[in-house]
Amino acid sequence: MQKLLETFLIGLSTGSIYALMSIALVLVWRSTRVVNFAQAGQAMLSTYIGFEIATRTEIFWLGLLCAIAAGALLGAGVDYFFMRVLFKHAVSGPAAVVAPVIATLGLLGLVRSIVGLIWGGEFKSIKAPASTDGFTIGETTIPFSPLNLLIIVTVFIILIALAIIFQRTNLGLSLRASAYAPEIAQLAGIRTARTRTIGWAIAGGVGGVAGMLNTASNFLSPYSLDLLLVFGFIAAVIGGLESMVGSVVGALILGIALTFILNYVGTSLVFIGGFVVLIVVLLVKPDGIMAKGRARRA
Amino acid sequence: MRKKLALFILLGWILLLIGDRVDELRVYQGAQIAMYAIALSSIVLLTGYSGQVSLGNGAMMAVGGYAAALTLNNLGSPVWFAFVMAVFVSALFGAFLGAAAARLSGPYLAGTTLALAVGLPEIANQFDFLGGVPGLLFDVGFPPERLGEEFTQYKWFFWIATFLALLSLFITSNILQSRYGRTWRAIRSNSLAAELSGVHAGRMKILAFTISSAIAGLAGAVLAMTISLVAPGAYTLALSFALVTGAVLAGVSSLPGVVFGALILVAIPEVADVLATRWGGDENLNNYLPGLIVSVLLILSVIFTPNGPGEKLKSRHHKKA
Repeated sequence: MQKLLETFLIGLSTGSIYALMSIALVLVWRSTRVVNFAQAGQAMLSTYIGFEIATRTEIFWLGLLCAIAAGALLGAGVDYFFMRVLFKHAVSGPAAVVAPVIATLGLLGLVRSIVGLIWGGEFKSIKAPASTDGFTIGETTIPFSPLNLLIIVTVFIILIALAIIFQRTNLGLSLRASAYAPEIAQLAGIRTARTRTIGWAIAGGVGGVAGMLNTASNFLSPYSLDLLLVFGFIAAVIGGLESMVGSVVGALILGIALTFILNYVGTSLVFIGGFVVLIVVLLVKPDGIMAKGRARRA
Repeated sequence: MRKKLALFILLGWILLLIGDRVDELRVYQGAQIAMYAIALSSIVLLTGYSGQVSLGNGAMMAVGGYAAALTLNNLGSPVWFAFVMAVFVSALFGAFLGAAAARLSGPYLAGTTLALAVGLPEIANQFDFLGGVPGLLFDVGFPPERLGEEFTQYKWFFWIATFLALLSLFITSNILQSRYGRTWRAIRSNSLAAELSGVHAGRMKILAFTISSAIAGLAGAVLAMTISLVAPGAYTLALSFALVTGAVLAGVSSLPGVVFGALILVAIPEVADVLATRWGGDENLNNYLPGLIVSVLLILSVIFTPNGPGEKLKSRHHKKA
């Protein structure tokens, strides 16, 4: 019973980091119709910047803020200087469908190489803002630590903030409108291009938080966020790629499921488990768990 | 068809002659070029023709490499059989994956194959019979004695790799020019119209995935041969990146282009090495400069000539006409 509970809690904490990454992917997908694989790269670069600040000042939260700012700037920059150029060269021919996806992949490689050139490949770690020793209840110590709790709380606060932005502000309304129907939004006086860039910035900032939190409980290297990207993508697919709420639910389910596999079956099956979840969701419910019954498309 | 066969045999003969006249390093690089040419042709078939994007061809190569090594080490089979098994097992794997992939479009397929490319090396790390991090040996043995004492190991690799590359390119080019190639292009251009003309789009996509995986698996076995090893570190995400880059540089839908793409992929580490030494030879520079060059090339080519360098020439030609 105790093992069940602690697995559940750890899974919740892991899943909440996945949730941030999948929200970042969903935000970009809704506005640009591109799965932004460079998100892992952007998050990595912002995390390295946050890491530098956090180690120099020894204040984790300052590092986190800097990572958010760097991530937002980077996200906006990628959209403004990169995606706009890409779409201006609107392509036709056999590569038309795959060009944007491949471009984000190239961007991921580019950021990875730049990070490698500056910081090298060795593993870095950030001093965690809270203890990583598990809570002690009575006599027993469980693996669930104050850091895990802090991660859950931080992610929860960010989700609330995002919900307020999207549901209660004009900016949120125009973000939703230009994702839902760009042409109509434009007719209604929304500057969709600029709104899109803001969406990329928000996604970038959220990705920065995901990177920092992942690094606090793990380590940082030019490759350390690849798995986060993959699990974030799987979570987004569970949620149907369109819905932010869906992707959060998907991420929590995935995080808990994978932690159960980790604790009850073994490390070797964690990735296979995630992959099987992805394939099963794609085959059984390709529109995601939040999808309502929809007319069959061609 | 007969003309083409003659052309390929002539090409092979010329390559063998060249192989006799250059030094060891170039011979080895020739084997690498052959390996990349096979791998790139699998992407041309899949992405350029059937219009499915796969970012995980490195993973397919891993399947082929491991299948070949396991066959050779555990069954004690002849070398050629290991290559056959590589093709067979990865085709099987591709058919299974293709059944899922055929129902996926753009982003889903890209993400799924990327997940595979990230995850498959991890999986290989976890299982003992796959040799863990150090991997498995894959030794095709010394060249046969009747080729003479001068005949080096690298030249033997080069012969095998070139033979397999020419064979697979010959078969691929015939498939692409057949009914199947035309059907794939029809599906890529407009899958609804293709289905209305009686094409079973899903089945054809699975077929494309299967053949493409089989070719990638062969490339994986050839790669394993050139480094005498199958290890997770050989089939990284970086390899999948490089393959996508090579395919885009080659022009995604041009089969002869793969030789050009393969040449560039082999040249990049060389160039990077020269540049890194000139700029101080620091360790980070050595490790990350090749990746930097690959990514910059990929980004530039995908923005400016997404359909390959041949496209601009062709469109200019059409305008004149």
